Amino acid sequence: MAGGYKYFEAIEKHAGLLGILTAIMVSIGGLAEITPMFMEAHKVQPADGVKPYDPLRLAGRDIYVREGCYLCHSQMIRALRFETQRYGHYSVASESVYDRPFQWGSKRTGPDLARIGGKYSDDWQRLHLQDPRKVAPDSNMPGYPWLEKTPLDASDIQARMRVLRMLGDPYSDADIASAPEALKDKNELDALVAYLQGLGVKNEPASMTAASPASDGGTP
Amino acid sequence: MSAFWSAWIMFLIVLNLSITFFLFLWGPRVAIPTLKDGTTGHVWAHGVLREGVRKLPLWWVVLSASMFVVGFIYLVLYPGFGRSAGVLDWTAHRELATDTERNNAILDERMKRFALYSVEELAHDKDATRMGRILFEDNCAACHGREATGNALLGAPNLTANAWLYGGDGKTLMTSILDGRHGVMPPWASLGEDNVVNLAHYVLSLSGAAHDDAKAALGKPLFATCAACHGPEGKGNPALGAPNLTDQIWLYGGTLAAVEESIRHGRSGTMPAWRTRLGENDARVIAAWIFSLSHRDVAAGASPATK
Repeated sequence: MAGGYKYFEAIEKHAGLLGILTAIMVSIGGLAEITPMFMEAHKVQPADGVKPYDPLRLAGRDIYVREGCYLCHSQMIRALRFETQRYGHYSVASESVYDRPFQWGSKRTGPDLARIGGKYSDDWQRLHLQDPRKVAPDSNMPGYPWLEKTPLDASDIQARMRVLRMLGDPYSDADIASAPEALKDKNELDALVAYLQGLGVKNEPASMTAASPASDGGTP
Repeated sequence: MSAFWSAWIMFLIVLNLSITFFLFLWGPRVAIPTLKDGTTGHVWAHGVLREGVRKLPLWWVVLSASMFVVGFIYLVLYPGFGRSAGVLDWTAHRELATDTERNNAILDERMKRFALYSVEELAHDKDATRMGRILFEDNCAACHGREATGNALLGAPNLTANAWLYGGDGKTLMTSILDGRHGVMPPWASLGEDNVVNLAHYVLSLSGAAHDDAKAALGKPLFATCAACHGPEGKGNPALGAPNLTDQIWLYGGTLAAVEESIRHGRSGTMPAWRTRLGENDARVIAAWIFSLSHRDVAAGASPATK
């Protein structure tokens, strides 16, 4: 194979060609692992009881994202015994259909929040968000005392809901029309607590105990 | 997964492996033109560094070859090659189910034994209370504190004082844990600010706490309103979860300001229901640990459940 060297030489001496060929090889993994899931994502139907966020929870979710809660809290219970025992049934795709973007997260400095709804009282959530040390003396979570002092901004909630409707969330005209009313006289803490208290509630798949692969809600 | 995307994945895997395998076989065989000194003629740092031509080290060749072998075996055994489920028919869900079953088999054996005893009896059992304590720390400590001494900011009761809002027997503890509680004290600001203060002084006098006698005397007749829940002597009512006001144990704090606040704006305390999260078995061992906290003398005794 004496002539083969000229191909190596061509690639070695032309940075552009080297870049293109490298990009092709690197992208094969992504094309195989990501593209099929991405293209079939629309086939995932909401699990029983999973509904689009009501306006207050939607506003709370935006605050969750704004404050970067996902940097320390995941919302993804993995299919591992020690996780399901502590947090409940593992998370399935059909629970996240109305999460745009999803809040699965990739880091757990604090505990997973996928099914935190109802675990503690509203009072606990409010106190804990203001200053976590008041309920957990050795917590290293920062406090968010300004949330209670900040009135909820209702000016763009209808626009947000309309965008979500364009993306497929089944909001009715009446839902959108009444949204500002639902946020009236609420502060950001109210919204965030409402969001947290709804996490995983009624979203648990019917197969809570069965853990059968057939009922995992459309994971392709 | 549709047949198309399955084929797409298979195609990409075959393409990727073919290219890399071809390069693996072909690359080492390519003749690299060399100068007389055996280098390629590529130099750096004005000729100080020259590029030599060497054969690939054996360890590198062996490791690379074994990667192809391992990759191939993996695709045969496990899911990955398109829709192929793999020879082992492995899924994460099935592994979880197996793990859970194995784990439950161990747990169930103990839980079955625990179920034979009442909460009061289980409080003697070190096995049960140790398990109860671990579950308590993960689920209950958020409000009641790690040592179960409560949190006045939330109105979460101290569970070590043997003073119970709804009753401290095993059955009642189980009900409180499984079905939750919601204690409501209505606001009495409508009585007027002076009356609220007088009433607070009277309430403090019930447990012998520091108070103003004159104001307490003025507050005393107003207590008739409170007696509906707290009883005429302020001893509370476990049927309603109305606290005993005579025992120096305070849900929201025993300062004048805290008592005034309770009267003025009322209180609303929620203990969530744990039936779906924990279930009876877990609740029973938690209740046993809680019971043991206020019955140290009993807990130190014999262990019927371990006999």
